[in-house]
Formats: sequence, structure tokens, C-alpha cells
Amino acid sequence: MVRKIMHLDLDAFFCAVEELQDPSLKGKPFAVGGLPESRGVVSSCSYAARQHGIRSAMPMGKALHLLPQLIIISSRHAHYSDYSDKVMQRIHQLTPLVEQISIDEAFLDVSDMPEDGAFLAKQLQTRILQEVGLPCSLGVASNKLVAKIASDVGKAGHRGVEPPSSITVVPPGEEARFLASLPTQALWGIGPKSAARLADLGIRTIGDLARLPERVLLDHFGKMGPELHRRALGIDDSPVNPSAGTAKSISNEHTYDKDTREEETILKSLRHLSEHVGGRLRHSNLAGTVVQVKLRWADFTTLTRQTSLPCPTDQDGVIYKTAAQLFQKVWREERYAVRLVGVGVSGLVPAQRQLSLWDVGLEKEHKLLKAIDELRERYGEKIIQRAEEMEQRD
Amino acid sequence: MKINVSQQQFSHGLSIVSRAVSSRSTLPVLSNILIATDEGRLRLSATNLELGITTWIGAQIEEEGATTVPARTIVDLVTALPNTSVQMELDTTTQTLNVVSGTSNTDIKCIDAQEFPPIPTPDLKEGIELSVAEFKQNIQQVGFSASSDEARPILTGVLMTIEGKDVSMVATDGFRISVKKSTLSKAGPTGVSITVPARALGELARVAVNAEEKITMVLPKSRGQVIFHLKDVELVSQLIEGNFPDYRAIIPQSFKTRTELTTESLLKACKQAEIIAREGTNVAKVSINPTGENQPGKIELSATAEQTGSSEITVDASVDGVPLLIAFNVRYLREVLEVVSTANVSLETNAANTPAMLKMVGDDSYMHVIMPMHLG
Repeated sequence: MVRKIMHLDLDAFFCAVEELQDPSLKGKPFAVGGLPESRGVVSSCSYAARQHGIRSAMPMGKALHLLPQLIIISSRHAHYSDYSDKVMQRIHQLTPLVEQISIDEAFLDVSDMPEDGAFLAKQLQTRILQEVGLPCSLGVASNKLVAKIASDVGKAGHRGVEPPSSITVVPPGEEARFLASLPTQALWGIGPKSAARLADLGIRTIGDLARLPERVLLDHFGKMGPELHRRALGIDDSPVNPSAGTAKSISNEHTYDKDTREEETILKSLRHLSEHVGGRLRHSNLAGTVVQVKLRWADFTTLTRQTSLPCPTDQDGVIYKTAAQLFQKVWREERYAVRLVGVGVSGLVPAQRQLSLWDVGLEKEHKLLKAIDELRERYGEKIIQRAEEMEQRD
Repeated sequence: MKINVSQQQFSHGLSIVSRAVSSRSTLPVLSNILIATDEGRLRLSATNLELGITTWIGAQIEEEGATTVPARTIVDLVTALPNTSVQMELDTTTQTLNVVSGTSNTDIKCIDAQEFPPIPTPDLKEGIELSVAEFKQNIQQVGFSASSDEARPILTGVLMTIEGKDVSMVATDGFRISVKKSTLSKAGPTGVSITVPARALGELARVAVNAEEKITMVLPKSRGQVIFHLKDVELVSQLIEGNFPDYRAIIPQSFKTRTELTTESLLKACKQAEIIAREGTNVAKVSINPTGENQPGKIELSATAEQTGSSEITVDASVDGVPLLIAFNVRYLREVLEVVSTANVSLETNAANTPAMLKMVGDDSYMHVIMPMHLG
């Protein structure tokens, strides 16, 4: 049976939410992200800003250089996730077969519905705009791969200060033809390195790739070769997996205003980040078995180190202790000025803890964290802090 | 030293003591095995300063003497030798042991026996007699509950208390407790309360192969050690210092639901649930449904792992009391069921967040308390 798969992507999501909060921003060039003084990056930028060459993930300093009058708004994540929830609720009312891939993107399988895919896409787009106030773009095709590329192509073809709100439909049987003229990097699994290797073989478009004998791909890309060949032809059997959308890891990063070589400062950041990650884990009722530390030196060399825990944790103390050990192991061998540190926890499972026969400290810690989480939820982040993090008052 | 031993006996003796060889030690002699002539037999000893094992094997002794041989070298060599006699001669000036068997001739550099830590000799008159078969079972029934976390040394031990004829053994890792009571055939001392490393008891259970034998347990005065003496083997262990948690206060005194079922059916159900549970958080939910007027009682075990799948197993049981949904680390449940020696077991529960008690039906010498898991 031919499937009907939709890929939905909210248009400039963070900016669209900010515009709802402050309608005067409409049509103006602005960006959501970190401040240039603290060397932040652009998380999302309005379509007006895009016309000046500003893109997400660009350092904010560079964005300001391109457009000095750019309005900068700091990210308010709690806000965005509320809006994301509202959108996802509407999507779930259409079908339970939803795979959320990020805060602003999801796949839907609507194969069982009698209506035509383009009609369903239009209906959903209108509903989200009317009820939540957010614009979105959709791609409709017979599989996830082509649906995603279709929505990307629809958005990319857009010009102007208004959001694209595009709907791109690839009819069954047209997949290979639709992909043929696109650059190879549009395919899943082809990053800049693979694209360069393909270009060396004279392969620039997906169509070139599809014409290449499977044997040649096998030689150059090993086991991945035949899969790339299938993808180039627009073939993808992967199902829309409703449980795959749940987070695979939870992490937080901090970029220093000035690069630092102070071990104490870095450890303090690791503690702070561990508390953040722990809080987020507990908020989602999750625990993780792998702790990861990320370090970026001043020259942008980035390294990550990770280790597995004997049992899943959602405790700040355990995360910090592990993160600090990972960091110190690196620090003993190489020390450069640090630009960014990050702490992440993956291997997420539902938080189920083994209870103790008597209080071995773990339970105490658990109760303490629960109390802190509740205080912060009610009165904000700064209501309770470690003494070492407090600013001195005279 | 000049001796002649059988390859088979020598190899067996080495396998008994080599478990006490220190794997990582700053003291080189602790990586060696002491070989010494001892009243017409050959004595083999190894120690890591916490645990020491000695065994004696038959030997033809031409010349008395002693040395210490690197454990890995001698164990691997003797294992590889043909099943005939092995002649060994020590050159005392160079501390080189010449090992000859068949056409093989090996020289091994040794360390002087003087450097080997002294191993205490027990005063057997002071000893407490234990039956091998019974003591081994006791070790098996409590040992697995001890902790392997070196951060809390006291929990890596088994608390042994002796009051005349009554012996109790207790182990806990903070999440479960095993308590075993037994009776001595000859009354022992009173007021004995020691914590023996679970690892040492595990090794004792391993080397005590003859169920008909007796073990003599000796506690040398104010040495902080215990010695277990068997006919051909002696095991000495440091005792663990510190206060063992007061486990009596934790043992539930009453229950709201009592479930009785066959050990085999519950063990099988746990093993099945564990296949799925081990891929996730090891949790098995246990739904306990009381016996009604027209329906038999049953318990349902279920396990889910996001990546792997889910499983549900129903087991018939006789259930008195209120229904309950409780979750356990299924490995803990399986481990206790594997050491239960009766055909039926009972599970006594109160609430989803309070300890449950597992007992052997018809044998009140054993209790196992297990703390449930909290479902997020």
C-alpha cells in the first residue's frame, strides 16, 4: 500500500512565538539567541533578518556585523515548549501516528485517512495558524525521507518577509524525479565530507547518485552504499515511530564571556550545568545511564568524553561527580583556554529508583532535590542557590 | 628444597590457593605462592593480606625447604605439564626453582620465603564445629545479599552471631537482607558477633567440597581474624570492623497480603520477565490478586523495555489479603528464589513502598526482606 506521510515544520518558530508576544516585531529583522557580549549564537531569526544573510547557528556578533540594527531577543525556552505542546496536541488530534523529532518538527502518518494528503496538510496548517497563531510548512509524500525534503524545498524556495507557509506535495511514483535535481547533501546520511567525496567522483546531484551503479557506492561507502542508492531513488521504508520522538539525551552548555583556564571556574560551571540537567531530568520523570562532558577550546576544537553509570540517575550530585571526573581526566592531559563547557545525560529511561531499607543518604538527597525543584518551579531559578554561586552583598 | 609431587595433585592445590593471590599489589611477594615442606607434606599458601588460603598435598621430600614462586608462572606451567610426576629443586643461593617433568625443564626466579607474610596457625581446641553441607548452604542463602560496593565495607560482609548452639548469619546491601538461623551440634561460645567478608565465605564454600567433612572455625584472640580449618585446607580472613546496621528494626512485623506459591513457578516467571527487564531498568511490576469466592488467586509479573518489548507472565497463587501492585528489581527476586530450598515460598507485603518479606514455607530458618522499586 502506498503510504501518505506528512512532515510538518514550524516557520521560524522561536521568532513566531516572540511576534505573538510582541506584535510590533512583525516584519522587522530580529533574532532570538544569546547576546553577542556573551558570544551567543542565533537560535532563530525572522524572515526579514534572513534577507540580510542572517542564518540560525551564526554567531550573534557576526549577525550584528551584517545588520547593526538587528533586534536581539534572549531565548525563553519554557515559553517555546508551551507553544510546541499546543501545536503537537493539534497534530495528535489528527492522528496518533506522530513522531515528534524536535520542538518544532514532526512526522505524521495519515495513510489510513480517506482524504487527499494535500487537503489534510492545508487543513492542519490552517488550524494551527488560527488556533495557536503559528505559521508552518508541510511536505507530503509516500515516505518520511521525501516528505522531509519536500518541506525543506518548499521553505527554501520562499522569498520575502512573510513566513513561507508552504505545502509541497510529491505524488507517489514521482519521488526519484523530484529528488534528481537537488544537491546530494539534501539526503539523510550525506554530510559535507561525503558530499565532497561524491563531488570528487563527479556526483553533484541526487540524480547523479541514483544513476551510479550500486557497486561503485559499495566500494566508496561500504555497507552504507546500497542504502544511499535507495535513498537517492527516494525509497525509504522507515515507519513513523510515535515513541522515537522522546528525548534521547538532555544537555546544557555554557559559553564563557571570556575564555578561561581556571579549573575552579570550570568545575563551578559543571556543577551549575549538572543541576540544570538533573532538574530537567526530574521534571520529565527520566533518569539516564550515560554522563557526557563537552569542552570547546578557544580555537573551537571540541571534544566530548562520556562514561556509563552502574544504574540510571536523575541526581545532580551523581551527574556532577561524574562530569567533574571526566573533565579532570582531560585536564590532566591537556589544558587550553576553555570557551564552552557542556554536561549531558543520555541512555534515558523512566525514573524508577530502587528504594533503600534505611536512609543511606540517597533518599535524603532525593527529598532535598524535590524540595528545591518545587521552590524553583514556584518562585524561579534564583530563589535558592549554592552559597558559592551567590553574589556578595555588602 | 628437593621434592617430587604428582602433577594432578599439584595443579589442584595451586587452583585452590591461587584465588587468594593478590592481583594488584605493591608488595611483589603477594603475587607469589609459598611452597614449603611441612611434616612430610607440601604446603601451598597465598594471601592478599585480607584473605589467605593454605592447602597441603602429598609429596616425596628429599630435602626440606621453602620458597615463593610467581603465581601466574607456576600455575600456567603446571597446567601445561604432562600428567606425571614433577620434580622441583631450589637453588637457595639464587632462589631459582628448577621444575622438571618429562622432557620439560624450567627455571623460575623466586622470592625468599622469609619475605612471605606469616600465616597464623589456628588453635583447633578453641574451635567451633560446623557441618560443611549446612554451612555451605547458609553461605549460599545469605552471601548474595552482601554489597559489592567497597565504599561501605561493613556491608560487604556477613554478620555471624553465635550464642551457644544458635548461629545466625545476616547480609544486606541496603536494598535487601537475608537472615539465616541454624543450630550447632556442639554448643559454641556465647556473645560472638563478627563480620566476615562475603568474598572469603564464597571462597570457603568453593574449596569445601567434601560435604561429609567438618569445618572448624577459630577466632584467635584480639587478632581481628577468623580461621576456617578443613582437613587439607585452611582459610584465614580479616574481619570487617565497624557496626553492622541494626537489621532487626527493619524486618516487617506484620503484613496486609500473604501470597503463597511454588518456588519453581515464581522463579520461572522471574527468569522470563528478566529477559525483557534487563534491557531496561530491571523492573518487574508484580500485580497481586487475592483469591476470591469463585476465582483462584494469581500474581502477574510484567516487564517493559523501551527498545526491546514487553512481557507478561501469570502465575497461580494462593493470595490472602488486599490486592497490591508493587515493583521489584527482578534480579533481586530471582537471586533469592535460586537459593530457596523448599518447594513453596510465601511473599508477605504491605504497600508499594514498604519492604516485602520472602519466606520458605515449612522452614522458618530463613527470611529475606526486599525493598521495592519506586515507579516514577
